[in-house]
Amino acid sequence: MMQPQQPYTGQIFQPTQAYTPSTPQSFYGNNFEDEPPLLEELGINFDHIWQKTLTVLHPLKVADGSIMNETDLAGPMVFCLAFGATLLLAGKIQFGYVYGISAIGCLGMFCLLNLMSMTGVSFGCVASVLGYCLLPMILLSSFAVVFSLQGMVGVILTAGIIGWCSFSASKIFISALAMEGQQLLVAYPCALLYGVFALISIF
Amino acid sequence: MASPVAPAGGTRNGASPEWGGFEENIQGGGSAVIDMENMDDTSGSSFEDMGELHQRLREEEVDVDAAAAEEEDGEFLGMKGFKGQLSRQVADQMWQAGKRQASKAFSLYANIDILRPYFDVEPAQVRSRLLESMIPVKMVNFPQKIAGELYGPLMLVFTLVAILLHGMKTSDTIIREGTLMGTAIGTCFGYWLGVSSFIYFLAYLCNAQITMLQMLALLGYGLFGHCIVLFITYNIHLHALFYLFWLLVGGLSTLRMVAVLVSRTVGPTQRLLLCGTLATLHMLFLLYLHFAYHKVVEGILDTLEGPNIPPIQRVPRDIPVAGLPIAVLNATSKAVALTLQPH
Repeated sequence: MMQPQQPYTGQIFQPTQAYTPSTPQSFYGNNFEDEPPLLEELGINFDHIWQKTLTVLHPLKVADGSIMNETDLAGPMVFCLAFGATLLLAGKIQFGYVYGISAIGCLGMFCLLNLMSMTGVSFGCVASVLGYCLLPMILLSSFAVVFSLQGMVGVILTAGIIGWCSFSASKIFISALAMEGQQLLVAYPCALLYGVFALISIF
Repeated sequence: MASPVAPAGGTRNGASPEWGGFEENIQGGGSAVIDMENMDDTSGSSFEDMGELHQRLREEEVDVDAAAAEEEDGEFLGMKGFKGQLSRQVADQMWQAGKRQASKAFSLYANIDILRPYFDVEPAQVRSRLLESMIPVKMVNFPQKIAGELYGPLMLVFTLVAILLHGMKTSDTIIREGTLMGTAIGTCFGYWLGVSSFIYFLAYLCNAQITMLQMLALLGYGLFGHCIVLFITYNIHLHALFYLFWLLVGGLSTLRMVAVLVSRTVGPTQRLLLCGTLATLHMLFLLYLHFAYHKVVEGILDTLEGPNIPPIQRVPRDIPVAGLPIAVLNATSKAVALTLQPH
């Protein structure tokens, strides 16, 4: 249906600039009010970060496969820094080890998951999931600030935390990659990786 | 008539100048014809026109850039004019050819997908293969079946790395040339890949029916015994226990591998060569892993259990204050002397 026409107010033989194209991207910088919020531009969504953190912290909560579609590295970065900071509180300046092990571990998991899953997975997604599931390890290293982990209590606690981390990571991976029945196969390499982090915390 | 003018909206590939309808509306050209389609920019019909506009603006930018580039005298590495252009073209062609070759080689050799079928396993399969790797099968007349997968062996090698790291940390091993992690990974992967290749080479010489993948899988699963022995003996430091486990568990996994190889080789000399080499290397590796990273723990234990000597003890020095003039002693000795004087 035709929309009601506005009455033509110009003159017949004079062209009028009636149509101004407003391109969404190029005109953003012009108007201050039109700019998106800073966090949205940076891609940091606090609600999603909180959702993913809760998914990690509740081991029995069913993971939603779609939450890992967006690659968010802000949360994992914060968690790695917090892990390094708690190690610093215990007198161990090992940021380099944390960085190296997480890089190599993410690369290894990326290769393995690409080989094991029907659909591929991106490196950012793997790094994001492994980073989020480092959160219980921060609890372990903060415990190690006050108490020594080298006794029997320490061994049991470490085993429990490693199991928690790898269980959460494998839960998210299999729900995101639709690999039912292979949770143990995904959990084991995650357990090895988090075991190395635990070694740094203990010794 | 409010029907939109068809020609301007119908052109898709950048309007040719003869039409001019869309372009001249934007640039305020001299035509009195107004395109009704563009009057209302909130309607969906102007979506394609917006896309066209984007495309045109981008093309204009590219043209401007290209013109600016060409205006810079067309120099190429200092050669102007025709020579410059020719050399630029040759360089471009070489670059394209090189890129094509590199991407072909990369897609051929670095294609990780060729390993995909070897990682297609179920947890139950892995579990049963782990258990079977400790049970030698006596059938030597027909070739025994070897599972051709790489998930289990790879995970076992990584487990061995983790156990080694744990052992090195508990025994405070200090590696001077390198890192703990590097040493552990190098040792385990070096053994797995190196010995597999060597035995495969020997198998080729001895005419044994085994492929490289099968050899990798066989040796990988054979490391399960090593993992068990090291895990137990790094935590319970008893020599007798270690030798017992070395013979029993190590021996079982070696026997399993030997039986498989014997079933796939013809001729007694060949069998002896192949299986003797594998058995020697496998058992000696376990011995090496235990003793190389365990010595330091032994050293500490000896000191602690020696004749009543606590590990670190501070004994106050007996400084002969009376015999020496005060001026000779340094400040520390003076302070110590003062404290040691009878109160």
